[in-house]
Amino acid sequence: MSEARISARPEWGTLIGICLTFFAIGVTVNVLVYEHVGSAVKTIAAAGIVLSATSELAYIAVRDVGGSVLAALIAGWVVASRFGLLAASLGTRIKVGHFQRSCAALNCLDPNVGVAMQQTTPSGVMSAFWWVTGALHLGWWCGTFAGVFLGNIIGDANRLGLDAVFPALLLAIIANLLRQRPGFVAAIVGGGLCAALLPVAPAGTPIILSLTGAVVALRVPESQAAKP
Amino acid sequence: MTWTIIVLLAVGVASLRLLGMYGGTALVRRFPMFERLGSLIPAAVVSAVIAQLTFASGKSLTIDARSAGVAVAAILIWRRSPIIVVILAAATTTALLRL
Repeated sequence: MSEARISARPEWGTLIGICLTFFAIGVTVNVLVYEHVGSAVKTIAAAGIVLSATSELAYIAVRDVGGSVLAALIAGWVVASRFGLLAASLGTRIKVGHFQRSCAALNCLDPNVGVAMQQTTPSGVMSAFWWVTGALHLGWWCGTFAGVFLGNIIGDANRLGLDAVFPALLLAIIANLLRQRPGFVAAIVGGGLCAALLPVAPAGTPIILSLTGAVVALRVPESQAAKP
Repeated sequence: MTWTIIVLLAVGVASLRLLGMYGGTALVRRFPMFERLGSLIPAAVVSAVIAQLTFASGKSLTIDARSAGVAVAAILIWRRSPIIVVILAAATTTALLRL
């Protein structure tokens, strides 16, 4: 292992923190997914091959209010668009073959790309990326199995207030975006538009139309910090 | 959620990731605005999902125990509390208000 690779390993505290966070997310998301899907095998398969909690949750959210399968799928794909951008950002910083590049793309999530992009060399970027990817996969898979197990014994999740956990978790996931003014504006416009359209628009379409919030926020200068 | 849906969701998400890695890199280098737009889309769309999950009751909007739980979570997130604290507080608040 080269010196660059050794020095690019994030601190153990960072890796453990990411692992525990993804464990918590894995448990919570998969209790909810299990309740919706009703099958442990499908819940675990979805956790593994979709590898996007927000996409799964967006799909379920649209279906739960009576939205069509197509609208729910579009909502799930749209919220995952950020992974494409994360992959694009990562792609500008690495020099590896197609196999490793494709594997990296399929594992792009917010924390591993975030930590990797802080490195200065292409090998350091890749090394940090895979260290964090390992930590988050460990947490996510342990959390997934724990979530399926808990989902099996909890029964009515709403009785325990887990229907509030669903939006709270999503809010935590985008919290860093909301601390910057453009992200805050995008959220207010997108969320407000969705709430306003919910009673009148066909189910599922308010979430898709909330993309308008991102377009509006493009006009907001990045330099100003949002008031939390 | 059927197997077909799981596969379609997975293929769509994987395609976006691969498209970003192979097509997006050149696009972002040429048009930096796309990187900015991409960073704003999650804020807008996920907020819409949050709004729906917090206030929707069928086709109408309501403020109930679930909304209170999310409000408590929002305050804790604003104060940078650990995610596990946020999750437990949201669930506990909602469950207690339903007793």
